[in-house]
Amino acid sequence: MGTMAARAQKPLELILARNLLTSLSTPAFLVDEKAELVFYNEAAGALLGRPFEDVGRMSPQKWIATYGPFGEDGEPMALDDLPTTRAIRDGRPAHASFRIRSAGGTEHEIASSAFPIVASEEGSSGAMILFWPTDEKAKST
Amino acid sequence: MNRYGGNTSSVQLLFDSGEQLLLDSGTGIRTLGLSLAASPHVNILLTHLHLDHIQGLMFFPPCFRADAEITIWGPASPEALLEDRIARYISAPLSPVEVRELPCSVSFRDTPPSEWRIGSATVVCEAVNHRGPTLGFRVTEGDTTVCYIPDHEPVLGTELASVDPEWISGFDLARDADLLIHDCQYTDEEYPDHVGWGHSGMSDALTFASRVGAQRLLLFHHDPLHSDDFLDRFHGAARERWASLGGDPALVEMAMEGGELEVSPAATRAGVPA
Repeated sequence: MGTMAARAQKPLELILARNLLTSLSTPAFLVDEKAELVFYNEAAGALLGRPFEDVGRMSPQKWIATYGPFGEDGEPMALDDLPTTRAIRDGRPAHASFRIRSAGGTEHEIASSAFPIVASEEGSSGAMILFWPTDEKAKST
Repeated sequence: MNRYGGNTSSVQLLFDSGEQLLLDSGTGIRTLGLSLAASPHVNILLTHLHLDHIQGLMFFPPCFRADAEITIWGPASPEALLEDRIARYISAPLSPVEVRELPCSVSFRDTPPSEWRIGSATVVCEAVNHRGPTLGFRVTEGDTTVCYIPDHEPVLGTELASVDPEWISGFDLARDADLLIHDCQYTDEEYPDHVGWGHSGMSDALTFASRVGAQRLLLFHHDPLHSDDFLDRFHGAARERWASLGGDPALVEMAMEGGELEVSPAATRAGVPA
């Protein structure tokens, strides 16, 4: 058996965060320390038009290309400006409003807050991102 | 006399090298300490600082021997040093002595984030799901690995039977262990009234063991309200449940006061494929 093999398991704080997000009716994402999307909950799946099980993990670049977000000018937002990136980079919550595009092509106005998950002095092990639809179309999703 | 015993968590690991490690210092450590040789050098790994895991320290005979050398390893905290947190218990008015007054040579060490060696053993710890900061330990000597997760609720908020291993608390620690010592405090019927208390029901403990591919399972941290006869029936039910999962029922055992197990790399696997 020996000592531990290559790591298969996420840090406990990410596991607990995922368990929490699973229980929420607020759309929410979970990203790891590289800002890679590792989970989103059923409410987010309803908003995006696809459950996480159909999508799987995504790099931030792929996420942006698929769903946005887009600024008020309709252009994709720069990765560095996203609340997720800022939360992980700066180790503090970040908030922004933008538009995303669902799998069906519908655009939604979203307010988003990202919270870094910090369990050690080594920095964030990820972040939780909660979404609040601010347009009527998304609210009724 | 209770057959299963009533002491709180403490386990001794004896290695082929003749060295030893103690896991937690519940009340069981008092009797253990009586049997240790003169001039003992003892390493104690604490999973967490809940009272049932440290309350034996003040009654551990080597603490009161000037020739004893004791190293206590435990989870780090941003709040206070390990020594200061334990000293809340070993100090007035709860204790007649202070840590600094103990005759032994005692040192306190935060568990490192990566694997480390204690004598002939390699030790790895990870945070696991319990109430408050809590570790599990994976201890390896040669080809033999024991995993100790006495307080653990891996099912909380998740579907343990189907979720990917990367989302299972304690998975890496326990993977393919030759012996898994794991929390199994409640029956399946009792567990719903204790969700979030940090402990496992029987089916969840067995499911966890099967998911990680443990070769042998020692059910641990019995509920103090369970009598010996109740635990006998509990054991039988656990073996039946394990068999229904495709495992060898003989390899599911119950922790017992003073019980001894010889652990070696098993040729066959008791675990059920994940």
